[in-house]
Amino acid sequence: MDGIGWAASAMVAARARLDVASENLANVSSGAFVPLRARAVLTPGGVAVFRERVGLHGALERTGRPFDLGIVGAGSFTVGAPGGSATQTRDGRFVRERDGTLRDPRGRMLLAAGGAPLRVPEDARFAEDGTVSTPQGRTVARIALPHGSSLHAGFLESGGVDAIAQMIDVLAAERGFESAQKVVTAIDGTREKSASDVARIR
Amino acid sequence: MERALLAAASGMAAQQQNLDTIADDLANADVAGFKGSMQIFGELAAPGSPGAGTVSLGTRVLLAQGKLERAGGPCDLAIDGPGFFTVIDASGRRAYTRDGSFARAADGSLRNAANQRLEGVRIPAGALSLRVLENGVVQAAFANGTRAAGRVRLAEFDAPDRLRNVGGALFEATPDSGPAREVVPGGSDGPKLRFGMLERSNVSIVEAMMRILTAQRAYEANAKGVQAADEMLRIANNLQRG
Repeated sequence: MDGIGWAASAMVAARARLDVASENLANVSSGAFVPLRARAVLTPGGVAVFRERVGLHGALERTGRPFDLGIVGAGSFTVGAPGGSATQTRDGRFVRERDGTLRDPRGRMLLAAGGAPLRVPEDARFAEDGTVSTPQGRTVARIALPHGSSLHAGFLESGGVDAIAQMIDVLAAERGFESAQKVVTAIDGTREKSASDVARIR
Repeated sequence: MERALLAAASGMAAQQQNLDTIADDLANADVAGFKGSMQIFGELAAPGSPGAGTVSLGTRVLLAQGKLERAGGPCDLAIDGPGFFTVIDASGRRAYTRDGSFARAADGSLRNAANQRLEGVRIPAGALSLRVLENGVVQAAFANGTRAAGRVRLAEFDAPDRLRNVGGALFEATPDSGPAREVVPGGSDGPKLRFGMLERSNVSIVEAMMRILTAQRAYEANAKGVQAADEMLRIANNLQRG
């Protein structure tokens, strides 16, 4: 590959980096958002950029709402329609419906360890090990959590986006794009010279 | 770059909505019984495809109890615990509120500033003063003793988070919230009425200011993203010289 090709692939990579930083910045207020990362790899065809999720979890924020659930450690909530496809999410902003099920903001139900929708009483207590019980201590259901993780009611996980790091990425992408463009222009300039000046007969 | 532009624009729109909600909270911070709310954002992504920014998933009302404070009104009431007052307007529409600043009207009812009548209370003409007990019983004092003048009952809902806010501290029942369930206050672990007190809004001004600052900076960061994408487009357009 020639110089212009390399520089062009660097411009494409810088653009992809800006895409990722912008998406992360846009989601700076999205609860439990897991940031993306642009990973640049040098290949024989130029610079290639891969998008991947960084396993970064935000801090738990106190909200005081009884059915806001946050997880410390690994693990996630299983949400979905009963009998439908289940999804994993760390976003624990649940609201209790009339029938006792808990729904997330996208309308999906929280599923218990067995896969059935979780039904909780109005004054349910959530223990750190994921056990849901009545105030009298009768266990109603269990939210499956890996060993070592804990569940906290009244807390929410904030997004894992570090706005400062993303701003720096925006700047770096912009300048990287500019540098690559200068390289393209410089190579183009030398080619122009060789095309128009070198072979000129006086 | 188009993707970066769209994502950053969605972030700016989200923070704008966020600011609107916080401004509404702040504007109502001094309204008795007002409940603050919060915008909820989520990632905008179709399954299997990379994200395209953020989207608002709606607002949520925080129903937490506000602080009770002694008030100077003639018939101020506050609820200590869950539940709502049921108020009825001239056309018979029911609304639910925790704003208990009522005043005696000429027809013997207790009415709030919006001229809605508190359900269950009728004060006989000629009553000198009035008292509401913890269990909702209204006592009217006459020159020759006291007489009962009705009872304040509270409304509770199966899913109070699904009530619809209809402005200020007023809520309406929705099919999702379920119909109002009448609750008699004063039980051992139930809500209690406090006469001569009002519930302050549960909006914390300091916290709201903090949220404004955060939203403003997030808006700026996203605006910088738009600028950067625009600058890259400009550079790309200038690749061709002459």
